[in-house]
Amino acid sequence: MALNHRTLVDLVWLALAGMTLVGALVGESAATGHAITFVVAFVIAAKGRLVVDHFMELRGANTRLHRLMAGYFHVIPLLVVLTDFFGDGIARLTSL
Amino acid sequence: MSAASVAASLGTSLGTSLGAFLPLLKREEGRIPGNFGIWVGIYCEMTEFALMFVVYFLARAHHPEAFAAGPARLSTLAGTVNTLFMVSSSYFVVRGMLAIREARPRVTLRWLALAFLCAAGYLVVKAIELRYYGEQDITARTGIFFTVYYYLAFNHLVHVGWGSLGLLWVMARTAGGAYTPEDHDGLEAFASYWHTIDLAWLVIFPLAYVWH
Repeated sequence: MALNHRTLVDLVWLALAGMTLVGALVGESAATGHAITFVVAFVIAAKGRLVVDHFMELRGANTRLHRLMAGYFHVIPLLVVLTDFFGDGIARLTSL
Repeated sequence: MSAASVAASLGTSLGTSLGAFLPLLKREEGRIPGNFGIWVGIYCEMTEFALMFVVYFLARAHHPEAFAAGPARLSTLAGTVNTLFMVSSSYFVVRGMLAIREARPRVTLRWLALAFLCAAGYLVVKAIELRYYGEQDITARTGIFFTVYYYLAFNHLVHVGWGSLGLLWVMARTAGGAYTPEDHDGLEAFASYWHTIDLAWLVIFPLAYVWH
């Protein structure tokens, strides 16, 4: 059964709050390494898409608007991962 | 070439690309929430924040140790509470939109008032947080991580500040009966802008407070 819009935005709000708390737990944890990078990238991508699709109502709206906003939340997580894995190379490329 | 000049160059290129893209928007490719003008503003804001994020990534690539250690000195509690304020404020604005579409402006006004309370809560928490950092001698000159943090946080703070004034404006317009189920483009335009400010924080929070 399809969710009505109000129920959907209620669930999106809960999901955003839940992912915020998960992020806070990760931030407070002593864990380090690539796993945290992937969590950060995933949370940015997931939260961004939820807001763009359901709060901004761009899902099903103008396709160019939607692609550009959704693309933003593919590029930023990608930069998170690239900075972690290829930080040295990026630093070399952007040094005199 | 310095990291900052590379970032500025990338930001300019991105801005030019977006500027070239916007005239290509066609209404036949789907509904444009709010109005065309607000999306010019939104893409300008997204470009501005993209430039800041590029500065963050370049600075992190050059100083990984400083960025790994930095989040531990920030208040995760303040960042988390403010993130909850931002997502809740966005949600309340959405509920206000849904209410106006059902011709219930009084209900819309209540949702917008809740959204405003969240925005005010964000500003209060941010003021307390920055005062706490001041007491801990954490300033923009403490190190590269904190320079970038203050750069991001202050820029976002300014956006929440003037966005809150916009929120008061649409509340006044709602109270004055300006919006109907058939015509509420102004409210929708504000909502789109407010969600953009929320989106920026949803990137800043994990980058500054979580990614150690």
